[in-house]
Amino acid sequence: MARMIRIEDLMFRYRGGDFSLRLPQLTIAAGESLAIVGPSGSGKTTLLNLIAGILEPERGRVIVDDTDVPALDDPARRDFRIGRMGLVFQEFELLEYLSVLDNIVLPYRITGALTLDAGVRERARRLAADVGIDDKLDRFPDQLSQGERQRVAICRAVIVEPPVLLADEPTGNLDPGNKDRVLDILFACARANDSTLVAVTHDQELLPRFDRVVDFTEFLTTEAAA
Amino acid sequence: MNDLLYLVWRYIVFHRWKTTILVLSITLIIYLPVGLNVLVEQSAEQLTARARATPLLVGAKGSPLELALSSLYFDADTPALSRYADVARVRESGLAEPIPLYVRFDVRGQPVIGTTLEYFDFRELRIADGRQIAVLGEAVLGAKAARELGVRAGDEIVSSPENVFDLAGVYPLKMRITGVLEPAYTADDDAVFVDLKTSWIMQGLGHGHQDLDTSEAASAVLSRDDNRIVANASVVQYNEITAENIDSFHFHGDNGGFPITAALAVPHDQKSGVILQGRFGGDDEPSQIIRPVDVVDELLDTVLTIRQFVLAAVVIVGAATLATAILVFMLSLRLRRRERLTLFKIGGSRQAVAGMLMAEIAGVIVASALLATVLTLLTNRFGENLIRVVFL
Repeated sequence: MARMIRIEDLMFRYRGGDFSLRLPQLTIAAGESLAIVGPSGSGKTTLLNLIAGILEPERGRVIVDDTDVPALDDPARRDFRIGRMGLVFQEFELLEYLSVLDNIVLPYRITGALTLDAGVRERARRLAADVGIDDKLDRFPDQLSQGERQRVAICRAVIVEPPVLLADEPTGNLDPGNKDRVLDILFACARANDSTLVAVTHDQELLPRFDRVVDFTEFLTTEAAA
Repeated sequence: MNDLLYLVWRYIVFHRWKTTILVLSITLIIYLPVGLNVLVEQSAEQLTARARATPLLVGAKGSPLELALSSLYFDADTPALSRYADVARVRESGLAEPIPLYVRFDVRGQPVIGTTLEYFDFRELRIADGRQIAVLGEAVLGAKAARELGVRAGDEIVSSPENVFDLAGVYPLKMRITGVLEPAYTADDDAVFVDLKTSWIMQGLGHGHQDLDTSEAASAVLSRDDNRIVANASVVQYNEITAENIDSFHFHGDNGGFPITAALAVPHDQKSGVILQGRFGGDDEPSQIIRPVDVVDELLDTVLTIRQFVLAAVVIVGAATLATAILVFMLSLRLRRRERLTLFKIGGSRQAVAGMLMAEIAGVIVASALLATVLTLLTNRFGENLIRVVFL
């Protein structure tokens, strides 16, 4: 079930750095797909990390449904993230020493909050089939193309069926042919799980595919054509 | 926990060569000092065991160490030679049973030991093949000597000349091998044992030649009186002792003045040993008496000091290797910073991620420690044989 995300009076500053992010208000509707654009260093990735509870703001609230994420303590925030957030990174961040299947089920191995069972493995195989990598489950990341690696990363993000999917430049390292394919898969997975999708991107060509675009340059919200 | 260990296992398997090199390096760091210690202990034990089993040695005054090493291990420069009279002196004292040893010649590198049959009983040496020496010109070989020379009972060997142009009359002597001893895993395994008189014959103190009373040798006789026959160099000297010529072998002079390396003295009791030491202990005494165990202990003190230096060197090399291993771990952790961050972002706690990395390091160290333990146990189990085969 998708979650609404509401951000209020958010202020974040890296310790010892000049950069600060101020976001008076941002609301993302449940099931909505939102693209965040803006120049490098404007705080797009920082916002994703704040929503995911990886970073703690100096002040303000990040409310996912009824839960104020920054107000949770560290373990609770982590549990919240494991169960409700799927993360996709620009550099894929797959573990080189794990097979494709092991990479997909990785969230189940690194926390006691989730249990890896036959059902999860079956779901991983189904996901791999959906994104066209079911014949590469025993391979290692360095035996895959860039596009295939990102598909594995997407499978890893959605294996827990997260209500919120956060993607940081998911097509940033892909060639044009793979960009569309990966984005199709990302949207399909979001739809399949009824997830709210928040993606940071530099690619203007992709923006029309999102419900809404937030330009971080001026914190102006523009409605993109759906 | 099992899932984290699975990840650790996958990492180790994926980086198996790096892991193997690390494990071997750390194994050597642990094993080298420990294994060396075990080997030195066992070597020392074997050295002292033979010395402990040899109560007293009587020999010419000089280096006690050379006397002990040449008489126990047949492995030193020939020390100052003693006289056979010392053997008689020990026997006549009634305090100990003497066993003469004459260690001077060799057969292609294997030392020839001139002694008596008592030596075999004293060292508990048993014949594995053939029989004991019975007459002049016969030899019994230690197991390793027989192997090295490629001979067996019934074959013949020839003593090596001391130098090519030996004009003093030390001719090679052909000897019959009558037996080969069971392995004793001591210096006896390397030796060629002959009767003491046979070794004197090798030196030219005894010899056999044509009977000068026969018509064949008549032309060689230069002069003849009641007690003395002088012949020229055409008289045939025998370089092999056979049943036909054995009766012609004889010694000139008093055998009390003939050389020996040492007389191994076996006192009847402790008190007899002490008295015997007193009798040979005078300043004007031409001979010395030593307790081999004291000499070897003194030698081992030096060896142990050297061991300290070797161990110190090993520890320094080990520390350098350990520092390198730590550097490898640190670099590995640094290289895997993004991996740690990813694991944290997708839900792993910092403690779990750190625990995973620590488990990898612990796995390498535990594997190294186990391997080092196995090597040490093997050294402990087979080190003794290794020392016997390689060093003794």
